[in-house]
Amino acid sequence: MQISYKVPIFDVKNLSFSVRGQKILSQISLEIFHGEYIAIIGPNGGGKTTLVRMLLGLELPTTGEVRLFGKRLKEFKEWSKIGFVPQRASHVDANFPATVEDIVKMGRVAKRGLFSTFSKKDSQMVHDAMQKMDIVHLKDKMVGTLSGGQRQRAMIARALASSPEILILDEPNTGVDTLSQQRFYKLLSKLNKEEKITIVFITHDIGVIADDIGRLFTINQKATICNDPKKALSCEDMSELYGIDAHLIHNHKHEH
Amino acid sequence: MLEMFEYEFMQRAFIAGLFIAVLASISGTFIVLKRYSLMSETLAHSALVGVAVGLVAGYNPLWVAVFVAILSAWLIEYLRSTFTLYSDAILSIILSGSLALAVIIVSLGGSFNNSLFSYLFGSILSVSYQDVFTIVSFGSFSLLLLLLFSKELYFISYDEEVAQTSGIKVKFLNFLLVTVVAIIIALSIRVVGSLLIGALMVIPTAAALQYRVGFRNTMLISLFFAVVSVVLGMSISYYFSLPSGATIVLIVISLFVISLVSNKK
Repeated sequence: MQISYKVPIFDVKNLSFSVRGQKILSQISLEIFHGEYIAIIGPNGGGKTTLVRMLLGLELPTTGEVRLFGKRLKEFKEWSKIGFVPQRASHVDANFPATVEDIVKMGRVAKRGLFSTFSKKDSQMVHDAMQKMDIVHLKDKMVGTLSGGQRQRAMIARALASSPEILILDEPNTGVDTLSQQRFYKLLSKLNKEEKITIVFITHDIGVIADDIGRLFTINQKATICNDPKKALSCEDMSELYGIDAHLIHNHKHEH
Repeated sequence: MLEMFEYEFMQRAFIAGLFIAVLASISGTFIVLKRYSLMSETLAHSALVGVAVGLVAGYNPLWVAVFVAILSAWLIEYLRSTFTLYSDAILSIILSGSLALAVIIVSLGGSFNNSLFSYLFGSILSVSYQDVFTIVSFGSFSLLLLLLFSKELYFISYDEEVAQTSGIKVKFLNFLLVTVVAIIIALSIRVVGSLLIGALMVIPTAAALQYRVGFRNTMLISLFFAVVSVVLGMSISYYFSLPSGATIVLIVISLFVISLVSNKK
């Protein structure tokens, strides 16, 4: 889809983060524009999740600044423009009393003004979001009883219900089988191309990266930005990023 | 069976009891889902400090209890956000600290008597008109707040961080919830008693969760269990001269056991 380079959705400048003197992220600068499809990859413990948490204001950077739609995080109010699917979404408590519809409805809660109940429009948006994720038939099922792939789609539908401009997914494939993963990447591409939603997703598994990705950020304390992901998978940055593993992953790619 | 309603004190007790059943079960749903169960126990003991001060200084014990419970709730919420790792230890410290303080205050005031006993275990005989007025007025206000923010509170119970990134004021709503819970607990000690109110908040929801149904139905089942327990408990308490709080708690536990066994996979 058309990428708009006017105001970046995320504008990150010289972001660093340390915990008790230990550097987790250092000097990260990047921009994410409307319409992009970005994968953030890196080894476990490389700081991917920390970066995302800082993008969303859940963690404050030690130094540096994050701007969202041109505004500083503190001044940013339009959170419904952002859909976030956290890593732990895949292991929700099996006993939590929520049907799929309950979960997707949560996506409308912040949009609704105080003192008002769910409107027809809200119900329509909830239904649309479930339809896009192909889970309408599951709406009365308890989330605890869903398969990994179904649960993943329910979580994304929740994020979509607020009609976000950007969707951020942290390790969305944890606990999801390969077939569901392929289906999932197709859905993401579709959301990016047809719904014009900017997509950012994080994974430690570079073997699964889809073909449609526009840019690739590799995070391992520092950030490297590859504008051509297909080249990136064979470039030297990979061996720097993953050490010995890069070789294995490289070969793995060739087998296909 | 209905002869008990000929007595005004029973009418008062039932109004107060039913109100508390509704309040405790609805707030309890959020408390259980947020894993704040132990907090209700702690706040009940803090409320006892208020009762002690009220008894000794001659103020309305229920009003002082509401006030002290709210202060305690804020203190706990503040400490929890500062020392996140040891939040259960904080609850434990405030629980025993409050109880110790309450006992000392009452002993110094020389009024360690039946009056305190009724606040520990609940007593339907002792619900006054003033108590009913306090319970209904504060209770309606608390219920209104809970219902107004129920969707937000549900979202927060499900995932605090996702709720925050959706633009929900998580910190404010957490404070609001503990404040409302503090009020409800303080109001409940007249009928259920401070040692037992935690049970009326937590167990109906714990039982309802066994049915594995959605949010609204879980809350309705929890409400149903709480009302049944209070009605049965107070009736049995009247006919067999048993302490109301203890009777209510044993009934709600029976309902929990039945729910657990009948829903076993």
